[in-house]
This record gives sequence, structure tokens and C-alpha cells, in this order.
Amino acid sequence: MATKASHPNSLSKKEAAIGGYFKAISAIIWKDVRAEFRSWELLSAMLVFSLLAILIFNFALELDVKTRQSVTAGVLWATFAFAGTLGLNRSMSIEKDRGCLDGLLLAPVDRSAIYFGKFFSNLAFMLIVEAIVLPVYSVLYNTNLFQPGLIAIILLGSVGYTSVGTLLAAMSVQTRTRDVLLPILLFPVAFAVLLSAVKASGGFLNGADFAEISFPINLLIVYDIIFIAISFMLFDAVVEE
Amino acid sequence: MFFQEVTPDTSSYMIAGFAITFLVLAAYVASLYLRDRNLKQDIDTLTELQKAAEAENLKMDKKRAPKKNAEK
Amino acid sequence: MNKKPLALKILDLVSIVLLIAATYLSIFVAPMERVMGNVQRVFYFHVGTAWVALIGFIFTAALSVIYLATKNLKWDRIQVAAVEVSVVFFLITIILGSIWARPAWNTWWTWDPRLTTAAVVELVYIAYFMLRQGLDDPNKRANFSAVYALIGGLSAPITFFSIRLFRTIHPVVIAGTNAEAEGSFSMSGGMLQAFFFALFAFTVIFIDLFWNRIRLGEAQAKVEEMKINAAY
Repeated sequence: MATKASHPNSLSKKEAAIGGYFKAISAIIWKDVRAEFRSWELLSAMLVFSLLAILIFNFALELDVKTRQSVTAGVLWATFAFAGTLGLNRSMSIEKDRGCLDGLLLAPVDRSAIYFGKFFSNLAFMLIVEAIVLPVYSVLYNTNLFQPGLIAIILLGSVGYTSVGTLLAAMSVQTRTRDVLLPILLFPVAFAVLLSAVKASGGFLNGADFAEISFPINLLIVYDIIFIAISFMLFDAVVEE
Repeated sequence: MFFQEVTPDTSSYMIAGFAITFLVLAAYVASLYLRDRNLKQDIDTLTELQKAAEAENLKMDKKRAPKKNAEK
Repeated sequence: MNKKPLALKILDLVSIVLLIAATYLSIFVAPMERVMGNVQRVFYFHVGTAWVALIGFIFTAALSVIYLATKNLKWDRIQVAAVEVSVVFFLITIILGSIWARPAWNTWWTWDPRLTTAAVVELVYIAYFMLRQGLDDPNKRANFSAVYALIGGLSAPITFFSIRLFRTIHPVVIAGTNAEAEGSFSMSGGMLQAFFFALFAFTVIFIDLFWNRIRLGEAQAKVEEMKINAAY
């Protein structure tokens, strides 16, 4: 636990504790980003996978102009979801295999700082992949996906997906079945976030009224808040020895 | 819904429904029973093993009590 | 713990009798529904099993909280029992619903909110067992399953709302779902009797199976403990 501030002149202490908390979070993010830029094993796998997925969808769904309009959102989110599990799994297995997780747990920081650190770095990787997939998709299919509304939805959806995904990945890497288990655990729980994200993205792409897509957006926001809060509270139970 | 004068004969669906319900319940009860029986066998085997091990330890203790203490 | 208590033995028998009686009431006593015919009779079991399964799932989420607060493995054993029995009952609910849907809606399955949520919830709790299978340490297993059951339980209502985004106006299904509540067929005296009796019967059967399953869990824990002791 971080320092408990109960002193009369505890304001500075409290500030220091909060500062330490954020420092711990940013240290974990930095560690992941630096390791990634050295090895590229996570991003390259996610990216190649995403491009292959789009290639397969192209022929499986015969993405001609007419179909594309209705299924683009679905194709994008299916790709993001699968690439996301790949990244989540890898990022947590690295921690587990190299004993980093134990090291992190020994560090004198609040456990939830570890959760947020991993959450933000996972989110960053997912967003980087999405930032590359979107222009590629735009070029390949001659549609402009760079709409602020769509980008906001992708951000909201990715936040919800990685918030619960980070927690579940921390669990699944500690099981015997490991990599196989994460999608099985994650998909039924993330069903709502994927569905609302598809609905909202599709609405933006087809130029629907805002009234029509405000409900899925609200649902995404509710989901994000609930699952960040609950994962933050439960992370302790998942990593304790 | 549909507006038919005659009530359709859907008895076969009804029979299938009840049959499947009983089947699933019976399968579950059977699985409970089988798991319970296996666990009881496990418990029996393990208690026997434990007794055997204890008897063995007792013998060993009598034979070379000081040495065993030293080991521990 | 070893000997099966007399109360449980009696409950076993009562459950069997109640199941037979509920079947008798639904098939022979309740009047036939005019529009759908005999298949409507599975409705009593459909709602009965759904009722106990949903109570079981809510109970499961509560047990997660209790376990995480106390870290007493007893609550974990109770939770597994609740999840397992609920999954079995919910499977029956889904199958019966599907059988009823075939003649009533002319399809085995539609992706309406209730059906889809039911399928997703069932998958969550099947995943729960796959998670447990991959873990050997009882404490870790209990922690993880409590966390997952809580997340799964929380996601279920959101899933329900999210599917309403999609298959909103499916006219046949909407009429159908209302029929489940009270809508398109109103229950007459004999039907109500069968309905409430089925609810009661399945509640008792659930408790009976639940109790048996808890005892099984205790035996499992004992064997695990003995195996660990035997290893040393």
C-alpha cells in the first residue's frame, strides 16, 4: 500500500504519495514501451495478424462496394478484438516468463498502479495497431475512415476492451492452458463493448443521426467506467501470492 | 402471432422438450453420482496409503530413532 | 461429512416426487393452449428452470463478493456448486426455449436480446469452469473464479442492453417474449396452478442438487488435501 496520509500536515505527504503513484504507472508504461521498441515482438505480431485478418475478411465476405458499407465496422472490430487478445496475451506472458511480475509485486507501490501501468501500455499498443490498420484499410478500400467520431468510438471501445482484457490476461497467463484461455474468458464478457462499438462505428460510417448512435456511445462509456473501476478493485486478488 | 382456427398439433415438440429435460437432469445426476463414487474410492485409497506410510514410519522410528531425528 | 445426512436423502426423494408431479400437472392437468397447442406445456419447465438458474447466477455474484472479503474456501465450494447447477438448469431453459420457438416462431433460434444474452451468459459460466480447470492451487483458483464470476455477472445486464441495439424490432419475437411474461396467452386457473407448482418444484430440485454438489466439493477438497499430504 502507498503511504497512508493521516498526519495533520499530510497535504504534502498525500501529494507525494499521489506523485509516487503516477510515477509508478509511468515507469511501467515506459518499461513496456522501451522493451517493445527494442524487440518489436508484440507490435509486429499484432500488425501482421491484423493485415492478414483483413485479407481473409476481404475474400471471405467478398468486400465489394455494397457489402463494405454494411460490414466495415464489423470487420474492423473483429480484427481489433483478435489482434487485441494477441497483444494482451503476449504482454502478460512476457511479464510472467521473465519473472517481471514478481519483481513488480515486490516493488513498494500500490498493486493498482501495476494494473494501470499495464492497462495503459496495452492500450497504447492496441491504439498504435489501430492507427496503422485504419489508413491501410482506407487505402485498400478507398473509404475515408478518418472521421473524428469514429476515432472517438475506437478510443472508447479500446479502453473498455483493454480494461477488462488486462485483468483477464493477468489471470489467464497464470493458468495451465494460458494463451488458449484468454479469448474464451474475454469474449463473452467483452461482448457488450464490441457490439456497441460496432454499432456506433457503423452509425458514424453510414452517416446516421446522432440520436441513433448516442445510446451505444453511452453504453460504451458506462462499460468503460464500470470495468475500469471493477478491474482496478479486483486486480489485487489476481496477482497476490 | 398466427391466427389459425385449428390448434396445431405440436405434441411431438412437447414430448421432445420433456424428454430432453429429463435426459439432461438424469445425465447431471449420473455425473454427480459417478464423481462422488470416484472421490470416495480416492479417499479410501489415500487413507490406506496414509496408514501404510504411518506404519512404515513407526517401524523406521523404532529401528533408528536417533538417525531420523538427526535428519529432521 | 462422509455419511449422507437423512435430510438430504429425504430431499432427494421429495425432488423426484415433485418433478413427477410437476410433469403430470403440466401435461395432463393444465388446459391446452389454443394457439400454440401442446408445445406450450414446456413453458412451465422453461420458466421454472430459468427462474432458479437466474437466482443461482445472482447468488454466484454475491458469493464472489463474500469470498473476496473473507477468503474462506468454503464460499468458493458453494460458488462452484451454485454455478454448476445453474449452468445445467440454464442449459435446459435454452433447449426448451428453442423447442418452443420452433413451432411458435417457426425457427429454432433468433438473435433477440433474451436469447442472445442467455447464450452469452451460459458461455461466461462455461468459461468459468475452463478457468478453474487450468489452476491447481486451491486459493488461487478460488480467487480467480470469484473475480471472473463477478465480472461475468456484471457484464450480463450490459450485454442485454447492448443487444437491444441490434435486433430491436423483430415483430414475431417481441410478441413471443411478451407471451413469456403474460401477453399473448393469458393463463387460466389450471395453467397458473401448473406454473407456480413448476416454480416451486424446480426451486426444491435446485436446492437438492445444490446441496449434493456442495458435498461433492467438500469431498474434492478433502481428496486434494490428502494428496498434498501424501506427497510429503
